[in-house]
Amino acid sequence: MSNRRFARTAGWLALACLVAAGLLAWYATRQPASPFAQEQAASVDPSQVSRGEYVARLSDCVACHSLAGKAPFAGGLEMATPLGTIHATNITPDHDTGIGAYSLADFDRAVRHGVAPGGRRLYPAMPYPSYAKLSDDDIRALYTFFMHGVQPAKQPNIPSDIPWPLNLRWPIALWNGVFAPTATYAAKPSQDALWNRGAYIVQGPGHCGSCHTPRGLAFNEKALDESGAPFLAGALLDGWYAPSLRQDHNTGLARWSEPQIVQFLKTGRNLHAVVYGSMAEAFNNSTQFMQDEDLAAIARYLKSLPGDPRRDGTPWQYVNADTHQDIPGAHTYATRCASCHGLDGKGQPEWMPPLAGATSALAKENASAINITLNGSQRIITAGVPDAYRMPAFREQLSDEEIAQVLSYVRSTWGNHGDAVDAKAVGKLRGHTDPASSSPIILQMR
Amino acid sequence: MELRINQKAYQVDADADTPLLWVIRDDLGLTGTKYGCGLAQCGACSVLVDGNVVRSCVTPVAGVVGREITTIEAIEADDVGKRVVAAWVEHQVAQCGYCQSGQVMAATALLKHNPAPSDAQIEAAMVNLCRCGTYNAIRTAVHDLAKQESA
Ligand code: FES
Ligand code: FES
Repeated sequence: MSNRRFARTAGWLALACLVAAGLLAWYATRQPASPFAQEQAASVDPSQVSRGEYVARLSDCVACHSLAGKAPFAGGLEMATPLGTIHATNITPDHDTGIGAYSLADFDRAVRHGVAPGGRRLYPAMPYPSYAKLSDDDIRALYTFFMHGVQPAKQPNIPSDIPWPLNLRWPIALWNGVFAPTATYAAKPSQDALWNRGAYIVQGPGHCGSCHTPRGLAFNEKALDESGAPFLAGALLDGWYAPSLRQDHNTGLARWSEPQIVQFLKTGRNLHAVVYGSMAEAFNNSTQFMQDEDLAAIARYLKSLPGDPRRDGTPWQYVNADTHQDIPGAHTYATRCASCHGLDGKGQPEWMPPLAGATSALAKENASAINITLNGSQRIITAGVPDAYRMPAFREQLSDEEIAQVLSYVRSTWGNHGDAVDAKAVGKLRGHTDPASSSPIILQMR
Repeated sequence: MELRINQKAYQVDADADTPLLWVIRDDLGLTGTKYGCGLAQCGACSVLVDGNVVRSCVTPVAGVVGREITTIEAIEADDVGKRVVAAWVEHQVAQCGYCQSGQVMAATALLKHNPAPSDAQIEAAMVNLCRCGTYNAIRTAVHDLAKQESA
């Protein structure tokens, strides 16, 4: 190749690279379209404020954007990503540290598309792949609530500790292009209004899939609606197993009626289970505030998602058990667990949940069973009243070996057929969830 | 609702989720059953329900309607309970006594199900806490009772 030809080729190549880089830069900082782009600020309608507050409840904004004892929505919750730690931001209408300067279109782009003013991409710890489904009306109401129903709080955001170059935000734009939908929820004409309302809440504001849908290699939810079989099929995160919300007999909601689902989300308990783990927060902050018709809609929608017997295993059935077996697990059960959960494993519904047939005793993942035994459950607060009964922590009272024995007993008695629990698994989670340890579990999702 | 406690019927007016312990102590005045932790951890509140030991602080009252409840006040009406109390007296188990009604309940329930428990079984069943540290005396008394039976 002559020198001149080489120079020409190199020149073309450089130009192509430049154009590609330019296109990428444009794409990665591009402002997505917002239907509100031309809108002028209108006068505030107070009914919009309360409607927006309700949308904020449905969306459980408070779970991440507030810390106990701090100003509401001033941010601060620490969350882990595969790259490092990030902190939820201040979303009060404070001008300097919050979102007080956001226009409705700015707000829309952040909530539904994960793009902050100036084109900076948000980390998808913010569930905008779900919030993308929110309707224009709900976005407008939500904006009105945050601007006029929330007290501004001056609290600077905490920068993430993700090192360069991993802290570059532009690759997120590419991730979004592949994994984040951009369309709002479109009602399915083949289904009735109740089902569609349920689908809207579950997929959109409720962002149930953030915890209950398994994630792929790129940390993306494997499905965002009922068209994908992994949607709400159960997932492991934050040291808990978020069970299937599909019609799975053992690990899902097949044994729950629609009214029982409503009761669970409204009161935190029903004949089958009591909220615990991360769901206790979703209940305390969000589901108990949902209107009865919305809960009925959620129940209708969830009951329409088919289960998968191959994943779920042999359907559980109650089997009578010898309650005075002479094995260590049975002894521990009788003295530590049976007061509440019963020697027959049937619990004292709906106050103390049964362990016979419990998801935690049937699921392959044993994280929830171990975690709640070590650390107990959070207080459930219904309508401002803390509940009378709560799972205590056995971290200080039972060894790894004892916990493994008693859980193996629970998971193999009364027809339960979960695998035995290994003391090493208990030790590992004990370390991770030790508030005094140097590597405590940091929350990944809400 | 109607509760059967110590072979007697009581009418009580309480919310379904009220802990049985509150009803026994505060509404019915049967104060031999003690409140320690309220979290199923100490055993001071132990009573028998249909012969099984339960921690009444974590027993919603609605769940024991129609079942036979026995508290420390009537434990000597039970043959096994009577022997347990006698052993407790003989070995002078109690120090302050606060935990002892629960300890007697736990021992009674154990011996009703298993008249001659092994050392390991005794160890596994007698897990109520005692702030005075009377564990040795408790163990001696229960071993004594177990021995009488196997002899
Ligand atoms: S008061 Fe019931 S176990 Fe402590
Ligand atoms: S004798 Fe005092 S607490 Fe047991």
